[in-house]
Amino acid sequence: MSAVLLECHDLVKVFPGVRALDGVGLRLTAGSVHALLGENGAGKSTLIKVLTGVHSPDGGTLTWCGEPVRLRSPLEAARTGIGVVHQERNLIPGFSVAENITLQKPPARRGLVDHAAMTEPAVACLTELGVDLDPARPVRELSVAQQQLVEIAKALHTESRVLLLDEPTASLSPEETDRLFGVVRRLAGRGACVVFVSHKLEEVFALCDTVTVLRDGRSVLASAPLAGHSHDDIVSLMVGRAHTAAGMRPRTVDRSAKPVLELDGVATAGGHRDISLAVRPGEIVGLYGLVGAGRSELVKAVLGLDRVTAGEVRVHGSPARIRSPRQALHEFGIGYVTENRKEEGVFLEQPIVRNITVTVWRRLARALGFVPAGEERAVAQDLVDRLGIRITGLGQHAGELSGGNQQKVSLAKWLAADTRLLVIDEPTVGVDVRTKRAFHELIWDLAHDGLPILLISSDLAEMVTLADRIVVMTGHRVRGEVDNDRDYDRMSGRIIRLIHDRDEVRS
Amino acid sequence: MSTMLDQQGRAAAVLRRFSRTTTAMLLLVVVAGAVALEVASSGSFFEGSSVRVFLQYLATPILIGLAQMVALCVGQLNLAVGALGGFTACLTGVLMADHGVPAVVAVGAGLVTATAVGLVTGLAIVATRINGFIVTLATMTILLGAQYRLVGTRTVDGYSATLRDLGSAAPLDIPLVFVTAIGAAVLLGAVMYRTVAGRRLLAAGGNPLAARLSGISTDRQIVAAHTLSGLLVGVAAVTATASLPGVNRSVGGDWLLPSFAAPIIGGVALTGGSIAVFGTVLAAFVTRLIDAARAQFSLDPSWVNLLIGLVVLGTVAGGHLHQTRLARTTAPSPQPGGAR
Amino acid sequence: MTTSVSPPDTVPKERTAGHRMPFWVNQRLGLLVLVIALSVLFGVVRPAFLDQRLVLFPLLRDVATLTVVALAQMAALSVGHMNLAVGRMAAFGAMFAGIGYDKLHLPMQAGLLLCLAAGAAIGAVTGWLIARTGVSSFVVTLATDFALLGLVSLMYSALTEDAAFTTRPAGVDALRSYSLADICAGPVCGSPAVPQLAQFTVLAMLGLGFLYGGTRVGRELLLTGANPAAAELSGIPTGRRVLLAHTLSGLLAALAGFMAAAGTGTFRASIGDDFMLPSFLGAVLGGTLLTGGVVSVLGTLLGTALVGVIRKGLDLLGVGLESLNIYLGCILLLALSADRIRTVVSYRKVVRST
Repeated sequence: MSAVLLECHDLVKVFPGVRALDGVGLRLTAGSVHALLGENGAGKSTLIKVLTGVHSPDGGTLTWCGEPVRLRSPLEAARTGIGVVHQERNLIPGFSVAENITLQKPPARRGLVDHAAMTEPAVACLTELGVDLDPARPVRELSVAQQQLVEIAKALHTESRVLLLDEPTASLSPEETDRLFGVVRRLAGRGACVVFVSHKLEEVFALCDTVTVLRDGRSVLASAPLAGHSHDDIVSLMVGRAHTAAGMRPRTVDRSAKPVLELDGVATAGGHRDISLAVRPGEIVGLYGLVGAGRSELVKAVLGLDRVTAGEVRVHGSPARIRSPRQALHEFGIGYVTENRKEEGVFLEQPIVRNITVTVWRRLARALGFVPAGEERAVAQDLVDRLGIRITGLGQHAGELSGGNQQKVSLAKWLAADTRLLVIDEPTVGVDVRTKRAFHELIWDLAHDGLPILLISSDLAEMVTLADRIVVMTGHRVRGEVDNDRDYDRMSGRIIRLIHDRDEVRS
Repeated sequence: MSTMLDQQGRAAAVLRRFSRTTTAMLLLVVVAGAVALEVASSGSFFEGSSVRVFLQYLATPILIGLAQMVALCVGQLNLAVGALGGFTACLTGVLMADHGVPAVVAVGAGLVTATAVGLVTGLAIVATRINGFIVTLATMTILLGAQYRLVGTRTVDGYSATLRDLGSAAPLDIPLVFVTAIGAAVLLGAVMYRTVAGRRLLAAGGNPLAARLSGISTDRQIVAAHTLSGLLVGVAAVTATASLPGVNRSVGGDWLLPSFAAPIIGGVALTGGSIAVFGTVLAAFVTRLIDAARAQFSLDPSWVNLLIGLVVLGTVAGGHLHQTRLARTTAPSPQPGGAR
Repeated sequence: MTTSVSPPDTVPKERTAGHRMPFWVNQRLGLLVLVIALSVLFGVVRPAFLDQRLVLFPLLRDVATLTVVALAQMAALSVGHMNLAVGRMAAFGAMFAGIGYDKLHLPMQAGLLLCLAAGAAIGAVTGWLIARTGVSSFVVTLATDFALLGLVSLMYSALTEDAAFTTRPAGVDALRSYSLADICAGPVCGSPAVPQLAQFTVLAMLGLGFLYGGTRVGRELLLTGANPAAAELSGIPTGRRVLLAHTLSGLLAALAGFMAAAGTGTFRASIGDDFMLPSFLGAVLGGTLLTGGVVSVLGTLLGTALVGVIRKGLDLLGVGLESLNIYLGCILLLALSADRIRTVVSYRKVVRST
């Protein structure tokens, strides 16, 4: 058996309102490719940040080659031998490719940077990845995929013994992905350990030999050989329990009803082409795709935040030209629960009552725009009760709530406005399992009461649980549509095939 | 052979890129403006004495512009540029005139004090996590009080003749103070482009998170930037002391606005991560040209402020237009994460 | 559900467990106590401090003017912006009032309206530029400051002989020197310490208090400041709110300019020269956040009053007027450091309770 490089026990990390890590164990051995899996919000990124010294853990132990270590900063982690490609873009836009790659240890003599000496190691790293880039080009001029490759090259340059890759393939083409896999295997062959985080299980099974699965901040499977597990085992470990619609009120959709929202051959300035879909009253239409498929961008374009360049958007049958979310709300009754809760969904530093009633002030306002505080509170209290939001008072700031309750607040503002169509984007990211279940029931009930819902999710199990029809998107195009029969295996097979067909066409 | 062609191609590419930059545009404006003034003054603008006067009063705008630029490059502001400059100038003057301190020592003390104030400002920002705007607003207020306490309402002018001579010396009609400013600019450029410390400053300004992940302490960079900014203000104060007939409480009072105008016109982003040493120097030239033109046509000095304000507004609005046009022409490719 | 059904005795306990601070950390109350304590202290040490006509009257007149200045800054801060041109907008507005009186021979009220309109217009132009280009408000208002600095002096030198409008219509002098003592209801007269000029301050405070505390637009301004992206997606016209905030800021700055001019008796270019620091001091000490989303009208008054009392008190104690700046700068830093400590403590509390 090969040597254990990095090991952790019972790691705990707490943020305001959420225990992001709550007893995580992990063992990384030399020469292995280790998959780190879990749904969105399960704690993968937090774990990576703890392992690379960005966050210091609030509990648990960390050992490096058998010795206890404390990683107080990213630099310490790097010196220890842990390299990482984070999910966020971590390049200096104004610097050249070569300088970014060598940022951690710039070649220098007596405090002077040797720009010429950067080129060689940078080119070496880029060549290993099979990328042809001018090392002198500023990073800000590169495409997203090229930037991602530069980040990987940067991680290669540190020659770490443990290399963590957080969703490295999210924006890469299949060929680039293949080359990356070659590099990963070579690194493992040289005795390093590569930790691979991905939502694409096919990639995981193709590349990795051991696996850790996180769920709700705990490791439900810690450093086990991947060979002993099937695709389904892993998925059910990630999801936690068999997802079914059982226990929810039966719901039928009148397929002959006139669609509330209809897209017909829509193209956008953001790169979408020929998008058609329809949502009928009481129907949940799922919009499924991997990260970067362009789903949120599509919705934002429909809401007027980007230009629709071709095709037609119809609301209640009549063509609509929506210029802003405000118009979408007040004229067409469309609400959008955003994916990015903290940045676009809730006002963290504002009281809950304002967070909920922001959409209805116009309706509540009297002469001179006066909004009676009593009525405002009544509206908010009503929704707090209806959604079971756990708060200590309406004046509490939204930022003090847990992720699930924040998400409910974000949903509540649209329910307050009596929207006639709801777009819900990644509703249960970073939400614990119990709240997730409650959320699913909530969405289900809303549809049951006749509200049409367009649901965007990267969580296939969630899609299969909730949606009536699933529209599959990749690369800013619709690849197909499947009727949901709520059988996870069958559905996931069909959807993965739809996504794969496209990849084959492309390669 | 091929390398030579390669080099030529690269040089051409660099030239092409340069021709589209703010710097190139500013260079054009400076040359055109100077020629226009030469014509308007019927040939007297390029004469030795007027060149000398022109450059003499260019030193301070360049230096304070650079001082502000250093703060901007890590995403900070330094509202105390003028107050610190005035305080330092008065301190140097008072040390020499009232306490008989030799010029060299007084100048050294001034530089050290300015640097130390910058250091303390940076430390205060990092330690309290209060917005740098407010902290420098507070230090500005404190320094204004200190400056007044030093000189009161009098003008201190009985100081070292040597320093004065140096301040007005202009071999080949190029004033020494201007040479000092240009020297500081070249040195600053070298530091920012060539040294590890300079690159760290820029990295921390360009993407603080990424810099932190690469082991660069953003806190330290903020402190370093304010310290360097303080040092540059100190140099500006010394050149001002040397070239002014005397120092009083009004020194530095009108420095704040020009200190922002030069880097902003020169193409430095307020969000940090970018510098433009040459651009800032050229922008200072432009503002000085406006002043010279004003003098040429004997207009009210207020025209200068009005024009500089309009130029800055034009620059930011123009930059915005340029960017939207860029966004339109470069066809947006379907890239994930593009929404960010 | 929890709040409505839970037994009454648990409700207060839950409340204190939330973000609500105990009463003694309430910033406004703290300010009020400080203002009163310092006034008493100065009054004991220098009894002259409590002289109604000679000390308190000019003190309150300054506080009244500077409160409006700070409110102008607060309006910009409410959407997370700044107005560095607040002083120059005051000068710009006052100049129009001066032109109105000197050249057009307008009555006082009409001149005031002209002044306010000019301020609102210049504020609107600034706001429009910011909303339209997305350039930081810092740069735009700084450049506006430059431009107005030049423009105002140019116009004064073009329109006047000694750089000031001296014509004053009936009523301006009354504003300058009259106090509540000049308003009598029968035998009962008001205090000679309270200047009549303060009526504008009270009006501005009531207006802004109603706007931010009671209306839809005020709430939308605050949410725009708290999180522009979320505000836009929640259906708030953020561009128009930014425009409105800067218009308001310009309007209030012009009002302050008018008050300053009425208080000194002349309309000149130097009005508002020293407005920038007090504008931030008053607003920020009063609890308005630089990052936007939180304002306090009453706090702004108290913050300004605190600064005014300290200024006057130290002045009476013989500290030179300009050296006062040293103390004011230190107070600003200390007050904000205390605020920072409070934030850190409450953050830790939330983390621990998770």
